[in-house]
Amino acid sequence: MAPSSKRSLWLLLCRSMLRVAGCLVPPSQREGWRQEWQSEIFHRHQFLLRAGCWSKREAFLLCRRCCGAFPDALWHVTAQEQLRVKLRERIRSPLMCLASIVAAIVLLGILTRGLPAFQNLLRTGTDGNNARLLFIWFHPSAGGGDEGIPPDAVTAWAARSKLLESVAPFVVGHPHLKAAGVIAQPLLVRTQASFFRVLGTKPLLGVLPTKRGVVLTHSVWKSLYREDRRALGAEIQLGRDVYHVSAILPDSFSFLSRQPSVYLVQDFLSDAQVMVVGRIKQGVTEKSLDRELTRIAESACYYFFRAQLRFSFFREAAWIPCWIFVIAASASGLLVLLVSRVPLRRLLHVWRSNQRLAVIRRVAFFLSKVLLAFLFVFALALEWSRSESAILFGSRDPAAGPFLLWAYIVGTMGVLFWSVADQRARCRVCLRLLCFPVRVGCPGCLLLNWSGTELFCPEGHGLMHVPDLAPSWDEEAERWISLDDSWKSLFIETR
Amino acid sequence: MSESSKLSHTAALILQTIDQGCSYGFDIMDATGLPSGTVYPALRRMEADGLIASQWESEKKALAEQRPARKYYRITRPGTEVLEQAQKRYPLLNRLVAKPRR
Repeated sequence: MAPSSKRSLWLLLCRSMLRVAGCLVPPSQREGWRQEWQSEIFHRHQFLLRAGCWSKREAFLLCRRCCGAFPDALWHVTAQEQLRVKLRERIRSPLMCLASIVAAIVLLGILTRGLPAFQNLLRTGTDGNNARLLFIWFHPSAGGGDEGIPPDAVTAWAARSKLLESVAPFVVGHPHLKAAGVIAQPLLVRTQASFFRVLGTKPLLGVLPTKRGVVLTHSVWKSLYREDRRALGAEIQLGRDVYHVSAILPDSFSFLSRQPSVYLVQDFLSDAQVMVVGRIKQGVTEKSLDRELTRIAESACYYFFRAQLRFSFFREAAWIPCWIFVIAASASGLLVLLVSRVPLRRLLHVWRSNQRLAVIRRVAFFLSKVLLAFLFVFALALEWSRSESAILFGSRDPAAGPFLLWAYIVGTMGVLFWSVADQRARCRVCLRLLCFPVRVGCPGCLLLNWSGTELFCPEGHGLMHVPDLAPSWDEEAERWISLDDSWKSLFIETR
Repeated sequence: MSESSKLSHTAALILQTIDQGCSYGFDIMDATGLPSGTVYPALRRMEADGLIASQWESEKKALAEQRPARKYYRITRPGTEVLEQAQKRYPLLNRLVAKPRR
């Protein structure tokens, strides 16, 4: 049977794929590689035609097989010795180290969809509207832990305070939500109608409820109702009760670092303790506010001692993670300086000699590496502490809580220890990672001979002696031996 | 570490298929059920390691039949030894590959 000369679109697609994949193959092997693939496709096509089995399905399968040409071509690329050497060189270079940290930050940004907690920190911390907004809670004189305020006291403050412009109670919870056929357990704030007045929020859609109703954030509106305006008035089941959606908040709205997604407005809150958000009048001090609120609470039969009421302004609360980070980084820095025996004296000695430029390069690389890694740890812990999983660790709002503090201490310590170890494993001249480790001596003959490992700079700038055992009094146990230019040719040959 | 201990199950399967007479890339895919993105890089690696050797079939024969020449693979002596060791490590290997119709 004569082979059919009819050209199929599928075959053209296969050939095009081979042509594209072939561009990756080194030119010396490209012709043979393409010929092998094309002959296999030809034979398969002819076999199926003759057998009368050529169909759309078989054509699709043939095209799918042609996709394998890409990994095959990539294998040819990676199998090149020159490329491998180049890659090894790149991995050792200091720029690659910095680039990989930047890549980690970018990846974190992509995974978290633009670092929302970091953005919220900047937005809340710099917004002038938040300067007079504050959280109020109760801190007992004896025993630890913060507590909420009795709701009656909040009602009394709202009615009689002359220093507060407005005040509203709220409670954060995780009830079961059923809406638009979806069952979820979002972070919910139960509050009263005055809440949005305190925050100065205007809705994107609908009217903020004056008695009972549900207000959705933009993200929930988007995920549950796909930005459909008919969401207004829709029924939402929270726990056992059914409510109606009254309003949708704008995308820019943010409250609390963990971003509640549903707001339930009720006539009154029946909880024993509530958290409080308030807006003070211009020029009011914390001291005068404390005095007035304590006096009003007394008239409502709640007796607080002076300074038992705690205040935290929105703007200050937003910057708390930064302060925690500075404290954690300073503590870790001191610890690493003590433990790692950083040879500051030797650095000063080199600084006074004629190798000032090399010292500047090393210090600049170390600082940029540490700063970038710190930025990564700061953003990662901030985003994580705002996630649902972090609630298990007990971080609380408005301040970031102990979880963030521990995350920062561990993170900064890890960064500093790694940075010092990485710096020691690099050439003192070109800052590339040292290689060719060679074991020297016998660990059992320490008294008679030196034993340890020697590492070389791939460019031939010098070698590093790392002893197996370093005495505590010897600050310069690791010795760097510089090699002159006469050694360079030897290292170029071995690369 | 010997070469055989480095041979993965997939590579052993491909080597076994070649040993049983499947000489072309697409035939190996049919026999093993592995995708082309696995088979071809494995063939290249095994060829580089000297376990298999490749050869183009005669141009004259292909031209006479009005078709392009195909590249076929055959197992080498070291490849046979490695396959024997791999068969001891993976006893079910013989059952996995169907005998070709010759």
